[in-house]
Amino acid sequence: MAQSEYILETEHVSKNYGDLVVLKDINLKVKKGEVICIIGPSGAGKSTYLRSLNQLEKITSGKIFIKGDLFLHRENDHTVERIDKATQKALLLEMGMCFQRFNLFPHKTVLQNIMLAPIEVKHEDRETVKAEALELLKKVGLADKADAFPNHLSGGQQQRVAIARALAMKPEIMLFDEPTSALDPELVGDVLQVMKDLANEGMTMLVVTHEMGFAKEVADRVLFMADGIVAEEGTPEHIFEHPENPRTKSFLKSVLNA
Amino acid sequence: MKTFLKELIDIKNWKKKTKITGIVVLGLFALCVILALMKPSEADMKAQASEEMQELLKKDETGTRKRVTVTYNSLIIINYCSFSSSGANALSEKYVGFAGHIFRADEGAGKFTGQMVNYTYRMLGSGENILHGAKLTLFLTTLSMVIGVAFGTVLALGKISKNKVISKICSSYIFFFRGTPLMIQLFVVYYTLPAVFGFAWRDLFSAGDEQAVYKGAFIAALIAYGLNSGAYCAEIVRAAIQSIEKGQHEAAKALGLSYGQTMKLIILPQSVRRMVPPVCNEFVMMLKDASLVFAISLMDITTISKNIMTSEISYNVFLPALVIYLVITAFFTWIFDAIEKKFSLYE
Repeated sequence: MAQSEYILETEHVSKNYGDLVVLKDINLKVKKGEVICIIGPSGAGKSTYLRSLNQLEKITSGKIFIKGDLFLHRENDHTVERIDKATQKALLLEMGMCFQRFNLFPHKTVLQNIMLAPIEVKHEDRETVKAEALELLKKVGLADKADAFPNHLSGGQQQRVAIARALAMKPEIMLFDEPTSALDPELVGDVLQVMKDLANEGMTMLVVTHEMGFAKEVADRVLFMADGIVAEEGTPEHIFEHPENPRTKSFLKSVLNA
Repeated sequence: MKTFLKELIDIKNWKKKTKITGIVVLGLFALCVILALMKPSEADMKAQASEEMQELLKKDETGTRKRVTVTYNSLIIINYCSFSSSGANALSEKYVGFAGHIFRADEGAGKFTGQMVNYTYRMLGSGENILHGAKLTLFLTTLSMVIGVAFGTVLALGKISKNKVISKICSSYIFFFRGTPLMIQLFVVYYTLPAVFGFAWRDLFSAGDEQAVYKGAFIAALIAYGLNSGAYCAEIVRAAIQSIEKGQHEAAKALGLSYGQTMKLIILPQSVRRMVPPVCNEFVMMLKDASLVFAISLMDITTISKNIMTSEISYNVFLPALVIYLVITAFFTWIFDAIEKKFSLYE
């Protein structure tokens, strides 16, 4: 493993569908333990960027490094540097992801959802995995729901299970794709609390969010994206109190005064 | 399965509807048992023959040429016996035995009842091996659906595969088998394949087996029906797989599951519930398509009923045929409903 002070780096990440530019030359370096919130208007490419980090979206060109190791290098829609499959998978597993729509497996119980990947992908011992899964459920406050089916839970509970499921793979980076956007307002708080706890434990997090309060309070750095580029980045204080870019100003004005 | 048995034993907590159904089923079962026990015995039925008939029967015992045909059919709670002699003074006597009594069945309601028992008995394929009548229909349909669903799943996965060659092969297969009549497919398997490849279906069975030709025809039918239902089931499975939301694939991928693992552990189990109603539909269609086997001389319900109609010039024969089909359909609809319920537990 190469040594790097950054746990995640992207260089010149771009994506376009034909002439439509979705992401344009995004460069980001994330240190271990950093919490980065990505905000911006819809259609700015926030989710696409986040999803391209773990290859749910194919980027057109750019390089992605995880823990200093090259994870992906593509140019003109082609992979130019082939990376050993095992290495790539190991690096992929350093990232856990939570989705806007939770995407829990509805036919499996909460506990089975959490245990599935460690057993099937990492071939870990079932009993150990089960103990860890129950521990994680306790952590997200759902110890009593282990045997429930996801569809019998509220949205907030489902999202917390999804976080536990991602954490069960012991990732070093957590990606959150609008984790609270599909939730009823009164359920948002529990999910954000779990995320805050996670941040306090030193988890590296990239969060695409519309929760400005959360970004202000928890983020180490805030990226403001618009039209496929990072229009402005800085500390929460800088972005929320003294934004420089007029796009940032107008966006914040419309969001915060809504 | 364990929980199912537990629930079954736990009678106190049964739903009211289940309790009523249970009582009705048990009641009907008890009634059947009582009626079956009260049913006149075969010997009693045969003793009913008139004196003239008895004399003829006695002569038959010693003579080489049989003059009287005796038919005895028993259907759980009711039985039927007929004697008919051939020759110049042909005699015919029919009896129906039910609930401890024996009735004459030569005309009117008795005759009708007698016919129903006799026809039902023959259409069920009673007294024959498993490849006759309703048993053939059931056996053929069930087996070809099992083959169809298994094969269809493979075809569906092939069709949605990213490998263009595999995908094209599977699509073409489906196109061919859905685009041509089942009967011609049956003919091709039964007649053309042996002619081209120089074998005979009966060769699958030992030369001494009297039923070899018949069994061979059944194997040919099973292959044709299996291949055909595979094509239809493939489309059902494909539609079910593709109806699973994209997020499931993404979540599995983000957790590091391979494509195969995702299909096996996440997508297919969820598709099953969505497959059940259309597969049930396909099953019912297949049940009725099974009557096409008359074309290769197999005897299923439809073929037998048509034979009875032409030989006895009796149009009542279709009534029991319809009832048998309905009973089979009802039974399987009930089973498929139960499967669907089992797989929708989590919803």
